[in-house]
Amino acid sequence: MKTSNLVSKYHVLFLIILLFLIAFPFVADSRTLTILFTQIFIFSILAMSYDILLGYTGIVSFGHAMFFGIGAYATAILLNTFEPTIGVFIGSIAVGIVLSGFVSFLVGLLTLRLKSHFFAMLTLAISGLLLVVAEKWRTVTKGNDGFTFRAPDIFKDRIVFYFCVLACLVIVFLILRRFVQSPLGRLLIAVRENEQRTRSLGFKTLHYKVIASVVAGVIASLAGSLYAVSLRFVNTSVMAMDITLDALLMTIIGGVGTLVGPIVGSVVIEFAQHYLSGLARDFPIFERWIIFFGIIYILAVIFFPKGIVGSILQALSKWKSKHEDRKIFALEKDKEHSP
Amino acid sequence: MDLLISLIINGLATGMLIFLLAAGLTLIFGLMDVLNFSHGGLFVWGAYTGVFTYIITESFIVGIMVAILTGMVLGFLMEKLIITPVYGNHVQQILITLGFMLVLQEMIKVVFGPNAIPVKVPDYLAGSWEMGEVIIIKYRIFIIVVGFIVFGVFHYILTHTKIGLIVRAGVMNKEMVQALGINIKKVFLFVFMTGAALAAIGGMLMAPYSGSIYAEMGMEFAILGFIVVVIGGMGSFSGSLLAAILVGLAGSFMAYYIPFLSLAVNMILMAIVLIFRPQGLFRMAKE
Repeated sequence: MKTSNLVSKYHVLFLIILLFLIAFPFVADSRTLTILFTQIFIFSILAMSYDILLGYTGIVSFGHAMFFGIGAYATAILLNTFEPTIGVFIGSIAVGIVLSGFVSFLVGLLTLRLKSHFFAMLTLAISGLLLVVAEKWRTVTKGNDGFTFRAPDIFKDRIVFYFCVLACLVIVFLILRRFVQSPLGRLLIAVRENEQRTRSLGFKTLHYKVIASVVAGVIASLAGSLYAVSLRFVNTSVMAMDITLDALLMTIIGGVGTLVGPIVGSVVIEFAQHYLSGLARDFPIFERWIIFFGIIYILAVIFFPKGIVGSILQALSKWKSKHEDRKIFALEKDKEHSP
Repeated sequence: MDLLISLIINGLATGMLIFLLAAGLTLIFGLMDVLNFSHGGLFVWGAYTGVFTYIITESFIVGIMVAILTGMVLGFLMEKLIITPVYGNHVQQILITLGFMLVLQEMIKVVFGPNAIPVKVPDYLAGSWEMGEVIIIKYRIFIIVVGFIVFGVFHYILTHTKIGLIVRAGVMNKEMVQALGINIKKVFLFVFMTGAALAAIGGMLMAPYSGSIYAEMGMEFAILGFIVVVIGGMGSFSGSLLAAILVGLAGSFMAYYIPFLSLAVNMILMAIVLIFRPQGLFRMAKE
């Protein structure tokens, strides 16, 4: 009774936020904020996909940007060569998803057998390799200069695109929530907690880790496709280490091991980035805002390894258990007094 | 023939620079089980502080000294503030050292400005020797010599002194070393500072070699360092020298013959080694 009550409370909270986001572009007639929110949604999708790896399966990948890049380039190249229609756009998302699914399957199969250090290094190296390929393969990618392309006409209106991305975010969130609550998702958490024990229980942990990496890669590719359309421009920076670092920071600061955490993290980071680079006009130090993030991030890893959402949940459950303890204590006292 | 020799010298010089970075990485990993993702930050800080002093005092030697000092101070601070809280937790170590790398790299831009700084080779090392057809650039020979001297000194320390004995024993089994009454924490700190100083020397020597320094070069070289450490075997000092030379030579030959593959070749090398021989080429399976 009590728990179902709590769950519905969360549902109401989500619904309110969702309604606010739906109403937002009509109420606030601010182009900058609409674009900023679109950006936040896209990076939320990316950070959630990263959290499947980091938070749920407990593997640190430094190559997440390559799937983002694959999605971005698939969309950009297809929209550039064919007519920029909505059909081609959806097709390009599918192409990106298939491609990154394939790549993440291959990479996962080869690398996930290794221990965390080696895996982190190898993913760093592979994504570095892919970045070099993208820079050298100028006939297709136009290298570091990048190229602009025409987005489908319907997305010319920023608000339509805003709703499209918001819909993607909600759908991805629901799918991933279903995914992490499924028996498969529970198994990933078991791998995170104790891989050896999971293996000795008879599960082929490698298979599950590969599945996690494919799911994460596919969702990241979707985020990449949306990102490319939001900028209508693509260059090799979509594959750079910075994208992985952004996803990492958002996940860590928001809260690893929850799906809401990465969304909160991307809200915090995108807003802070927006306002801090605004401040840079007056205080040049803010041009290097990444320093503050680096420091906050280090402190977060040491002191708040659970991130914002994780810490709040922990505090809540502590408060609740204290509350409950007091109740039980009171009940027992009553019993003692009653004859 | 002359081409072959200059390619070999190029490769050796680059290999030595990578070795200076990788030596610290491999010792720190072998002893402390910490993979330091911010090692490239120490490299670039060594380069910048060293070059800064070198430009002011016009003495290359003083520059190297300052670079070493910077490396040791940063190493000390890092071990105390960043590494100690996360001992034994691999995921946190990876995350936190990467975060520190970010801070180090951006701090460079704050302190020394975001632009690349040109660096000249000191007069007495500038120029080249000509032997018939072959032109040998003096500074490259200097790097190679320094690299071998560092290797020799450290090899001697590791194999012939008590501290080396402790470090080697610690790589094998640190609990046992501690049980024998040695403060392993102090040894950790010492090794970490030494590794940081080696990276800083590497950065300082790198500066005149490449002609200019920039903040992002730390990450670039750190990736090469990781590749070398993987190929050479984690915790193996001589393995990292051989692997560094291999990577350096492969890089220089590929850059000449198949430029497209020059960066890829190292990654491919590492991928192959990791997949088929995860303990590294030059390391026996756990003695």
